[in-house]
Amino acid sequence: MIQLVLYLVLGAAFLASLYAFARRSASAEGGAQIILRARQALSALQADLLPPRVFERIFANGDYRYIISAGDPALTAMFLSERRKIALSWVEQIRRQIVSLREFHLGSARLHSQLSPRVEARLAFEFFTLLCVCRFLQLALYLRGPYAAPRMVGRVVAVAARVCATSEEAMGFLSAVKVDRLAGKSAHKITAL
Amino acid sequence: MNNVLKRTDVLQAADDLRRRTLASIARPLDRLIYLASTRDYNTGFYYHDGLASRFAQEVVCEALADCHREAFQELVGASLENLVAQMEAYIASTQTSPHDFVVAWKKLEPYRVAVPVDSDTLTSDFLFSNFRIALAILQARLNTPRTAAPASSPHRLLAQ
Repeated sequence: MIQLVLYLVLGAAFLASLYAFARRSASAEGGAQIILRARQALSALQADLLPPRVFERIFANGDYRYIISAGDPALTAMFLSERRKIALSWVEQIRRQIVSLREFHLGSARLHSQLSPRVEARLAFEFFTLLCVCRFLQLALYLRGPYAAPRMVGRVVAVAARVCATSEEAMGFLSAVKVDRLAGKSAHKITAL
Repeated sequence: MNNVLKRTDVLQAADDLRRRTLASIARPLDRLIYLASTRDYNTGFYYHDGLASRFAQEVVCEALADCHREAFQELVGASLENLVAQMEAYIASTQTSPHDFVVAWKKLEPYRVAVPVDSDTLTSDFLFSNFRIALAILQARLNTPRTAAPASSPHRLLAQ
């Protein structure tokens, strides 16, 4: 009986690995989608999530001091709750975009770009670190509020910026025009006008 | 080439708008509301008769959208204290009762339709959150008995 269960588990594991392998060797369209998502993730990180004007406002101490000066516990509680929601949303968005970039590096980047094994290893370590720090930061923000871990916020921003720089280098083969073609848009419709 | 020419026109139209119309609207909050009001809610296109007499409609639309994004970014960058002050001044300029204003804004959340259409979710949510906090501060001020409080305190009396 134990042997039967063991064989069943091994069989299930084998099928799961076959399924995972089939998913890894996805079609060209799937690959294009990953590249497109990675490009969008990179631009979201660089334009909307990592610039200092964004995270410095979210974690601004000045706003907190202003609220504290009122000496109204209800106002302070509301402020901290609102900021915690925004801070958690900021970290979650960074984490999602980083996962998209990691997908790109695990699949398409290897086929198109010439990253040295050393750079790839460093990148893998940074992805791992970043995703772990994001989870820890989410936990800290959730349990202790938006001002719980300012150094961890700085760490997330610094590592994410490094990952973005390496990803941008790896995506060098992909011009904006190619991205638009992947998105099924006209190559000439780059700007609004 | 056509794109470059149009972009130049857009910059020119936006500059014209800043000098003639927006120069007289000092606060970013007022500019945001004014520029949002020039947008057709059904189509998302902006209209401005004065500018349309000098520039093509698509150029006017893009210039107004540029200025709208600019006012939005300015407001997002404003501190909470500054946002509260802007709201206070805005209430005074509308000559509405502060109480009615706060109640209406809390219920209707009109600021939600005042943001540029292409603004990212996180930034818009951050501004909405700041509006909610600012409204709570204004309401707390309205409910606070008239006592002297420091000018920078959120409980300072609301200008009537």
